[in-house]
Amino acid sequence: LCHFFAQVENVRLLDRLSSRKAALGTLYLTATHVIFVENGSETRKEIWVLHSQISSIEKQATTATGCPLLIRCKNFQVIQLVIPQERDCHDIYISLIRLARPVKYEELYCFSFNPKLDKEEREQGWKLVDLNEEYNRMGIPNNYWQISDVNRDYGVCDSYPTEVYVPKSATAHIIVGSSKFRSRRRFPALSYYCKDNHASICRSSQPLSGFSARCLEDEQMLQAIRKANPGSNFIYVVDTRPKLNAMANRAAGKGYENEDNYSNIKFQFIGIENIHVMRNSLQKMLEVCELKSPSMSDFLWGLENSGWLKHIKAIMDAGIFIAKAVAEEGVSVLVHCSDGWDRTAQVCSVASLLLDPYYRTMKGFMVLIEKDWVSFGHKFNHRYGNLDGDPKEISPVIDQFIECVWQLMEQFPCAFEFNERFLIHIQHHIYSCQFGNFLCNSQKERRELKIQERTYSLWAHLWKNRADYLNPLYRSDHSQTQGTLHPRMAPCNFLYKFWSGMYNRFEKGLHPRQSVTDYLMAVKEETQQLEEELEVLRERLANLQESQLNDNKVKSKQQERSKQLGLSTSNNSLANTPQEYSNDLKSFPSRSPSQGDEEDSALILTQDNLKSSDPDLSANSDQESGVEDLSCRSPSGGGCLPSEDSGKDSDEAVFLAV
Amino acid sequence: EIQVKEPIEKEVNPRLLPGELLLCEASTVYKYIQEDGSNRGTYGKLVCTNFKISFLDDDSASDDNEPQFKNKIVDCNDITLQCVDQIYGVYDEKKKLLTGQLRKYPEKLIIYCKDLRVFHFCLRYTKEEEVKRIVSGIIHHTQTPKLLKRLFLFSYASAAPNNTDGRNQTVMFETLEDWRDELERTKGNVKYKAVTTNEGYRVSEKLPLYFVVPICVSEESILKYEGRGIPIWCWSCHNGAALLKMSAFPKEQDDSTAQTQKAFLDGIYKTISKPPYELLKVDDLSSSLPSLQDIQTAYTRFKQLFLIDNSTDFWATDVKWFSLLESTNWLEIIRRVLKKAIEVVECLERQHTNVLLIEESATDLCCVISSLVQVMMDSYNRTKLGFQSLIQKEWVAGGHAFLDRCNHLRRSDKEEAPVFLLLLNCVWQLVQQYPPAFEFTETYLTVLSDSLYVPIFSTFFFNSQHQKDTNTTGESLNTQSGPFRFLTVWDFSVQFDPKAKAFLNNPLYAEKPKPDKSQRKTTRFKHQRQLSLPLTQTKPSTKRGFFREETDHLIKNILGKRIGKFINSSDEPPNSFREFYDSWHSKSIDYHGLLLPCIDGPEIKVWAQRYFRWIPEAQVHGGGTIAIAAKILDLMEEVQSLQEKMDEEHCQAISGDVHSIPLLRESARLSSLFPFASLQRQSVKPALPTSTWKDLEDEDELVKRDDEFVDLSGDTS
Repeated sequence: LCHFFAQVENVRLLDRLSSRKAALGTLYLTATHVIFVENGSETRKEIWVLHSQISSIEKQATTATGCPLLIRCKNFQVIQLVIPQERDCHDIYISLIRLARPVKYEELYCFSFNPKLDKEEREQGWKLVDLNEEYNRMGIPNNYWQISDVNRDYGVCDSYPTEVYVPKSATAHIIVGSSKFRSRRRFPALSYYCKDNHASICRSSQPLSGFSARCLEDEQMLQAIRKANPGSNFIYVVDTRPKLNAMANRAAGKGYENEDNYSNIKFQFIGIENIHVMRNSLQKMLEVCELKSPSMSDFLWGLENSGWLKHIKAIMDAGIFIAKAVAEEGVSVLVHCSDGWDRTAQVCSVASLLLDPYYRTMKGFMVLIEKDWVSFGHKFNHRYGNLDGDPKEISPVIDQFIECVWQLMEQFPCAFEFNERFLIHIQHHIYSCQFGNFLCNSQKERRELKIQERTYSLWAHLWKNRADYLNPLYRSDHSQTQGTLHPRMAPCNFLYKFWSGMYNRFEKGLHPRQSVTDYLMAVKEETQQLEEELEVLRERLANLQESQLNDNKVKSKQQERSKQLGLSTSNNSLANTPQEYSNDLKSFPSRSPSQGDEEDSALILTQDNLKSSDPDLSANSDQESGVEDLSCRSPSGGGCLPSEDSGKDSDEAVFLAV
Repeated sequence: EIQVKEPIEKEVNPRLLPGELLLCEASTVYKYIQEDGSNRGTYGKLVCTNFKISFLDDDSASDDNEPQFKNKIVDCNDITLQCVDQIYGVYDEKKKLLTGQLRKYPEKLIIYCKDLRVFHFCLRYTKEEEVKRIVSGIIHHTQTPKLLKRLFLFSYASAAPNNTDGRNQTVMFETLEDWRDELERTKGNVKYKAVTTNEGYRVSEKLPLYFVVPICVSEESILKYEGRGIPIWCWSCHNGAALLKMSAFPKEQDDSTAQTQKAFLDGIYKTISKPPYELLKVDDLSSSLPSLQDIQTAYTRFKQLFLIDNSTDFWATDVKWFSLLESTNWLEIIRRVLKKAIEVVECLERQHTNVLLIEESATDLCCVISSLVQVMMDSYNRTKLGFQSLIQKEWVAGGHAFLDRCNHLRRSDKEEAPVFLLLLNCVWQLVQQYPPAFEFTETYLTVLSDSLYVPIFSTFFFNSQHQKDTNTTGESLNTQSGPFRFLTVWDFSVQFDPKAKAFLNNPLYAEKPKPDKSQRKTTRFKHQRQLSLPLTQTKPSTKRGFFREETDHLIKNILGKRIGKFINSSDEPPNSFREFYDSWHSKSIDYHGLLLPCIDGPEIKVWAQRYFRWIPEAQVHGGGTIAIAAKILDLMEEVQSLQEKMDEEHCQAISGDVHSIPLLRESARLSSLFPFASLQRQSVKPALPTSTWKDLEDEDELVKRDDEFVDLSGDTS
């Protein structure tokens, strides 16, 4: 199936942070991965990088030691290689440029990735997240909302899903009419419905209002949304763009709703910048991340100048605004930006996450991404550059949403069922193209490609390994895990932190490695073990009692006899007193409570127990960069996700076949 | 109307400590609720005593639910006189700093506290003579120079019952024994000795009665320059290398004096560089670290970010948060100090070199660096007792001039510098980077920083041991009470009840494993043998095995230079500091071994608990690190109760009753500002901050090149 395209010996891998530790090894190029295998070290260290993870390749000026090659990855890993021969370096460079920019979907890794699941398992995996089930969970269809088939065969809007939920009073005529008045025909449709007070979040694209255009059906559509919430006499219309941008659009025949034309709307701008500003901002922040031992000045100035956290804050502020409107005022909200597939997706999903505790569970979070991003036509292919395309289309839109979730997790550490690792792995796979979930730009394209028949679902993969993604602080019965999260109206800037776990996670020794949550996982494990032990002891006790009863008759006879012989009965295997019981336990493979000194009763969390920390969160282990022993396992993600099953997947086959 | 007022006018009296005297008071003072710009607040009485300024709420019945974390000495509406930073008066909406005599009395009083609280009192409804009395009283007692003997410390000590039950185990370093024990503990007693030369303060009033010097240093040389130029021992490393400090000679005008001093120093250096002493590295901290003046300036700017008058000001600063933070330079100073400490650690640990820290008086930055080095290298100092003993050794006995540096007596602003706070800030960085390595929590450090301003403890209210000694026995007028018996801050039960004290202990502290463990391990449950994290791969770990470490050392030492060149083929000069730092960070952590902080920009953080705790805008309901802490405490209780249950099952052989698990803390009901500020209401109406978006003007061109235009051509409608 696959072969090494190239193999170069004596390549040096530089450690960005310390020039001392350059590792010597061999570089392999396969159809799917770049692999660096370190020479001779006892633990053969390896780095696997999927071609689709490569964001840029830079060939630097040749030096005495060789020709440096810099590979920047979309998961923020930076790999610096020095290749002895200029010619080799050039070949690798040219090949990688081609390999990192596939032109056909079929070239992507998910079409060759095979986790050895049969057809049925594959189908089951795709069924894990079911959006109809999700709308049912919200309580829909009901008296106010229904499913509409107006977009079957993608007749009205090709970037929308076939099944769309709309107000009952919105007829097909209204929907189609409204769609003609909306950019790319993305008419208002339901994103989230709040059972308790009937308030909803709907989404659309901008209206084609220009300076004065009107559309009766669109006005009726908004009216219908308002009527679907009997508790309120107006709706908010939230334009997530800065006012300036929206106004500029009017000159192009687009724009925003005029409050005078629509009855009972309250219009609100929320200034989230466009994809170009965001792309630029991330670039600036990554430059700060790449600094070698940044000073406070470098870091703080760089961070502020990048504006990244301000953009994150803007998205959060918008989400909080909508969540408050829905939860506290009971008012429905229509959200749009320009096309309604970037900022709108961000804002709707942040608001849903705040409103509904279900989305803060692992399953719920998958559903949320599937609903607000995948089904509503977020342009994954364009934004994350899966296929070679216009670089101006690339922007870290979903990365920003994922970071918003992390920021919320930092503020509310007990409110989420999943941990940071879960987010990092999802981010990784949005770029990896190892699973079919995030391929293409719309549902229509995915159906045409028959994605579900030809690739596997990430959600099933994550679900299978869900134990790895649990937040030990989460409890389903805890009050914070139920109901709406209440961040401050507009949390201040200091609450937003730089996410080194994401952007600097590949830097060894750049941050402390032991997070409190990892520690807690260990405590939790210990608790569980104690419970298990308790159970075993109980059983044992019950058995002993039983046998005691059975033996009693025998024993009384024995006792009489031993009295005659002057012998003690304590060497009998029965426990009559605690002391005897504990004596007895010495042969029993457990520690006995009588031995429990303070060391036992306190938690034993020594270095031994926690020596190896988590690969992704820690930036400590080599595993996070896919470095593992090639002979026994290979990373499933071509990067950072070593897991039990991955050792058996096709990667290994690929390697051994050569 | 009078009848309506009457029920409110019930007598509210301040709770006074022994020795505390009411000096002046004013009624119908209106205290604004800090959190919002609105004029909400409560009426009450403002009093000033010889210990504190206190606001007494008229309807104090409202606080029926006792807070979980309460300071028994200083209540939330109390400000000790030493805790007052600055006082402003408001005249016709204009703020004016109040210092000395006043001609006109303000209608509003704003008090900024050193623990970063801000109080607003409105005096408009107060009788004029009461305003005069209370304002001038407060100004007089907090802003004008004071005599040492007028500190509340003395009134309290003479009035309070002598019930110090003395079960405080912190080593105070007041006796020769303490120093000898410390020498023994660190195995420094081969090359260093505790001396009694300073008994009766014959050498210097700045030095403690007893201290430790190299064995070869003679009594005469100690006496010669009042202890200047003498290397004083701080601590010995496991490999024998020692950390020393020395008070430098002042710049001498006279050439010949300078000559003899230089000769003296050369002699000292010579003796302590010879075997059995290790090589000596001298570090003059006055040139390699920021000056006290820089530190003071930086901190003054830094704290201004948190002393917030109102919401509007807060949001105005919030927009430029990171650059404002940067411009204070405070975090950079923390970073430099930590870096310096790591450099010293590297010399001691890896180069087996003695390090001699030099400073004018050897009582400021010397204390910071030597304390940090000991916290990083000696896990004993990461326990509560160890840390407290360290503060006693380096700071209290070491003669840090707390009185002057905190400006407790308001004698001179020039001497003021937050040197001890700097240490606490640095230690906090370590605590937040490696929580399991410390027996105490960040709350402990915050409480300690607050205790700097509570003048019932002697710990932080003397410039030196000599000053304390002379004032303890002193010519006290009422000799019947004998020498004063001061409290020490280390007795935290003076300030907190046991429930509150739980927040000072870190439940995740990784206790040192006992050596006799190996036997028991085998008798454990199968599943208990490895308590490991999920995702832990069974890969050969980078074990810091003894043997391997040793051989590494050998190779480095023997082949060091030649190999070094090979490896370091890059352009950079070999940087032993960086190498040491990197290699430590690439290994797994031993919480009981050497601990080095990460000092790269992203990892140096603002001590949020201390600095943000009174700012309502920074509050996260049911969130923040305290949510984790509360969760952990719950979990620990659960584990403990399971453990107890197991013991019970054992003891009573037959037992059916199952205890319910106590869940004391409802972490969702706490706010991130807990345990310091109380929970506050939130606004309900959705609204957007207006100031937030304005600052992105530099992105102009990108905004103009909006995507909204790009899409136009492809539009179908």
